[in-house]
Amino acid sequence: MAVQNNPLSTPCKTFEEDLVLFHYGDLRGEEREALQSHMNGCAGCAGFLKELGKLLPLTIKTDEPGQTFWNDYSRELRHKLDAAAEKGPWWESVAIIFQPRLLSAAAGATVVVIALALTLGRGLWPTKDAPHDDAAMMEALPVAENLEFFRAMDVLDDLDLLESMGSQGAA
Amino acid sequence: MNPRDEELVASAKNGDRGAFEELVERHKHKAYHIAFGFARDREEAKDLSQEAFLKAFTNLKNFDGRSSFYTWFYRIVVNLCLDYKRRQKRAPADEFDETVERQVEPSHEPRMPISPDQHVFAGQFSRKVDVALEALPAKQRTAFILKNHQGLSIKEIAETMQTAEGTVKVHLHRAVTSLRQRLAEFA
Repeated sequence: MAVQNNPLSTPCKTFEEDLVLFHYGDLRGEEREALQSHMNGCAGCAGFLKELGKLLPLTIKTDEPGQTFWNDYSRELRHKLDAAAEKGPWWESVAIIFQPRLLSAAAGATVVVIALALTLGRGLWPTKDAPHDDAAMMEALPVAENLEFFRAMDVLDDLDLLESMGSQGAA
Repeated sequence: MNPRDEELVASAKNGDRGAFEELVERHKHKAYHIAFGFARDREEAKDLSQEAFLKAFTNLKNFDGRSSFYTWFYRIVVNLCLDYKRRQKRAPADEFDETVERQVEPSHEPRMPISPDQHVFAGQFSRKVDVALEALPAKQRTAFILKNHQGLSIKEIAETMQTAEGTVKVHLHRAVTSLRQRLAEFA
């Protein structure tokens, strides 16, 4: 094999793709026959095919490892498969959480916890509905003041009553 | 009689590890050689093809059987190889020459002794081919490697690449034309 500087053959444009397929044995039937008969009279296409036959096999870099390599290959892969089978894909661990049975159990447990928290926890946590003692006092104070007023109103009622009784007695 | 791939796949899906290992034994050579066609390095090809088997193992439940197992599996191999090439392009290739030289060495039984000149020439040629293949767009390179190195039919390549047969022919033609131009001095 030596470096050459021969000019490349120039195939007919219309046949170039078919020549590649011809080289690989992928051209059949009428197309193959047509190309073959064309090449009988076309040096460019015939030369192109010859160049492909010479060049393309050289581009294949072969590697045929020995039996030891293949034994190691299989053993190594078996270990990797073992590890993969043990570990499983990441989404499997996530998917376990979303299994219907576990999901309903988790939902049930959540409902129980919420119910217990509401029942036992009442009074432990401040809520909007239960104002602080100070706030309660502030709300109760005007009511207490009003009670005094109503008590005074009662006294006035009594005065009215006495007045009416006095006027009845005078009559 | 040996079970067909489809039967082994069905058993493997049901948790039969032995069935999957049989699939490995059947396809490991071809998977390795496809990976070697892309990586052109023994260790890389081994890792890539093993990774493909692992991926097939963990995703076997998703294989619906619409294509043959080998088409589905080789698609995994090719995609991993293309990812590898993309990663490699981003990383500096300092060890490139060493890799090429190592592969030029006969890897198995000794052949005809070669002269130092021939050795140098083989190294130069191999490097030129590597560069020429690297320069091809991913789809052209895939079509070329599957055809030229692996001898897959146009139909099989189309299934593996999930494209039309006509498109494969175009990719192949362009790849060959480009390589011929780049390696003209050896033609």
